[in-house]
Amino acid sequence: MRKATFILHIDSYIIRLGIVSILNRIQGMHVLKEFKANESFISFLEKHPVDYIIIDQAGFDRLVDLYILKPELLELTILLKNSSLEDSNEGVPQGDIPTTLYLTDEKEIIVQTLQNLLHHQDDSPIKNSSEDLSPRETTIVRLVSMGLTNRQIAEKLFLSAHTVMTHRKNINSKLGIKSVSGLTIFAIVNNIITIEEVSSLP
Amino acid sequence: MINREWPMYRVVLENHQLLPLLPRFDLKMGFGELSVDEVCRSHGVNTDFFLEIANAYLDELYVPGEGLSLFSLSTMVSYIKSTHKYYIDIALPMVEEKINRLMSHSALSKKEINLVTTFFNDYKKDFMAHLSQEEENILPYVLELERQSALNEPEPEFIQKLRNYSIREFEKEHERLEISLKHLYELIIKYLPPFEDLQLCHQVLNDLAALMKDLVDHADVEDKVLIPRVADLEVLVLSRTSPV
Repeated sequence: MRKATFILHIDSYIIRLGIVSILNRIQGMHVLKEFKANESFISFLEKHPVDYIIIDQAGFDRLVDLYILKPELLELTILLKNSSLEDSNEGVPQGDIPTTLYLTDEKEIIVQTLQNLLHHQDDSPIKNSSEDLSPRETTIVRLVSMGLTNRQIAEKLFLSAHTVMTHRKNINSKLGIKSVSGLTIFAIVNNIITIEEVSSLP
Repeated sequence: MINREWPMYRVVLENHQLLPLLPRFDLKMGFGELSVDEVCRSHGVNTDFFLEIANAYLDELYVPGEGLSLFSLSTMVSYIKSTHKYYIDIALPMVEEKINRLMSHSALSKKEINLVTTFFNDYKKDFMAHLSQEEENILPYVLELERQSALNEPEPEFIQKLRNYSIREFEKEHERLEISLKHLYELIIKYLPPFEDLQLCHQVLNDLAALMKDLVDHADVEDKVLIPRVADLEVLVLSRTSPV
């Protein structure tokens, strides 16, 4: 499942609370910390990698030096503005900010804008998820969990033993699991095989 | 954030999660009123390094980074080694003993018991292999790199080696040891029939959870601090030698 972490930099208590409550309703969104002042915000950013910063216009204007120093932060920034009619201040490089939220936006637009962020998240190679396996590899994991040897798997699937070995190697490196018992438990918790099937093996 | 002036007993009293760190630094209890700094000094431990590791350990969100770059690679290597020792001597045997006890007093089928115990044995083997690969190859290499970088002119044989090898290769194959434990945890809470001895079952789950968290933190220290620093140093050492 995709996830995104946020920190908020919003002066208004009510608006901050509102944004937190919206984010908490969207699966995969996680607010790491809320700020209303600048000092600890900068030191927090240095130590904690975040996916997105939601910041109000006033905070953004105050932190313009930080943004000039670290332009890469612009890509993570979601600017919170009062309304689309409000014009940007000069000298602030807002053009590079990919996302803007308006307080006057309807619910659907706000939720959609936030959800789009999740789709922009790179699918970083998180190891060890069954989604990483190809259908063929999943079949092989299942057969390994049923106690079949590579040779038996090759016969069953009409493959050469060499091909099965290659699949096994790829599975190992994708999942980081080498042992048959490790693969079996992986298969159970990923619903590739049931524990009853494993238990009923001779 | 823990402070060096605080009495050590209070620090541990209020943060029981720090307990597994104590043997790693060879800090013996019976702290009395001694401060963190005093306890560290009397045990020959670098106080700043202890604080950095302890604070990182307590802050769920903290990702080790700049703070740790202040310390020598050899300090980090010896910390990594003592963490390994903690896993092998304390953490793994502790959870293993409980798992075995839980299994032997359970209503599980023979097949199910076998599944779990075989799994843990295999896991332990892979775990040991992972650690000894680091101890025998990676960590000595890191120490050697640090030594060479301090020389006016790095030795030609080492430069030769450096041209063909980078710590980044190790990074690619650096496996996450906590993942299989997570599967085991999930197996117990979701798929296996319930255990009679709830107390023991909870102990097993708590131990597994603590070990998983520890392994994540440890891998962060290796992946986010050690490897980038070693990689930077490799470039630096190579840049000081004339190209062939």
